[in-house]
Amino acid sequence: MLGEFEYLLISAAVGIGDRAYSAAIQREITATTGRRCSIGALYTTIDRLAAKGLVKTAMGEATPQRGGRAKRMVRVTPKGVQEAKSFYDAVTQISRRTLWAVKDTGGAS
Amino acid sequence: MTNLVELAARLLDCEDRETMLGDLEEAGESSWRRLLDISGLVIRRQAMLWQSWRPWLAAFGLAFPASLLLMGFSLTITQSFRHLGAPGHPANGFAIPVLLSQVGLLVGWSWIGGFVLASISRRTLWVSMVLCACPCLFCLARFRVPHLPSPCLLLFLLPAIWGVRRNFRAPVMQSRTAAGLALAVTLLTIFLSNGGLPNWILTWPAWYLAATAETSRV
Repeated sequence: MLGEFEYLLISAAVGIGDRAYSAAIQREITATTGRRCSIGALYTTIDRLAAKGLVKTAMGEATPQRGGRAKRMVRVTPKGVQEAKSFYDAVTQISRRTLWAVKDTGGAS
Repeated sequence: MTNLVELAARLLDCEDRETMLGDLEEAGESSWRRLLDISGLVIRRQAMLWQSWRPWLAAFGLAFPASLLLMGFSLTITQSFRHLGAPGHPANGFAIPVLLSQVGLLVGWSWIGGFVLASISRRTLWVSMVLCACPCLFCLARFRVPHLPSPCLLLFLLPAIWGVRRNFRAPVMQSRTAAGLALAVTLLTIFLSNGGLPNWILTWPAWYLAATAETSRV
């Protein structure tokens, strides 16, 4: 099963789509969670996910805003999508009778 | 600080360095934060390498014990050489062939040891080098053999460095060559064991090399 940060990374990459790369994923995670995500931690997690076959990486184009340096493009594999869905289902399932989930659905139990 | 960041980034692979510095530039991080992020990644990458058995074998199964044993053997060769040239030394028809065999074995053990060290775990080679250097420095500091210069302990270093360099330039060895080397080293080891137990600690790298010759790519 995925870890929390692995799930965030895969979700952010899928959300960004074909143009997902490390810095864009970092921005997405930071904006969503409100916590700073270090690039180093992101790279380590991408390596781990790539070793499990959940993402694939490739060198992308360089842009002036990056000082002319290349991007590390990230693409989620079908296996990665499946793992993220399993994680999401598990979290949703286990949370369904929690106070915060009940409040979100208008008090129904 | 910028120079320090560039220096730390040099510890990363070429592609990682390129993308990491680009990401940090794009994110507009401060120099201090860049240094922290890069150092963190370097440490994590090194830690991940040690999850495999290969760096452990290279450092503690080869570099450390081999440096101790090869220093001892270097000393033996130096003493044999001195005795050979000493006035009044009894003429012995075997002395020169034995000395030449010892030199050949030292070169063989050291060269193969260096080659295998780089082949088993190149990315943690620096740790293996530190583990090799520690006993060398310790023994050099305590060297007290009369009439012998302390650098004689380090005779094995040159062929060992040569072996490492050979692996960096051409990591693949023909299996026939590797098997020949392993056989030669083993025969010399047995020949020079004087009826005692042959030194298999220094000989296993030769057979590791022979066993992995066709697949030893980095």
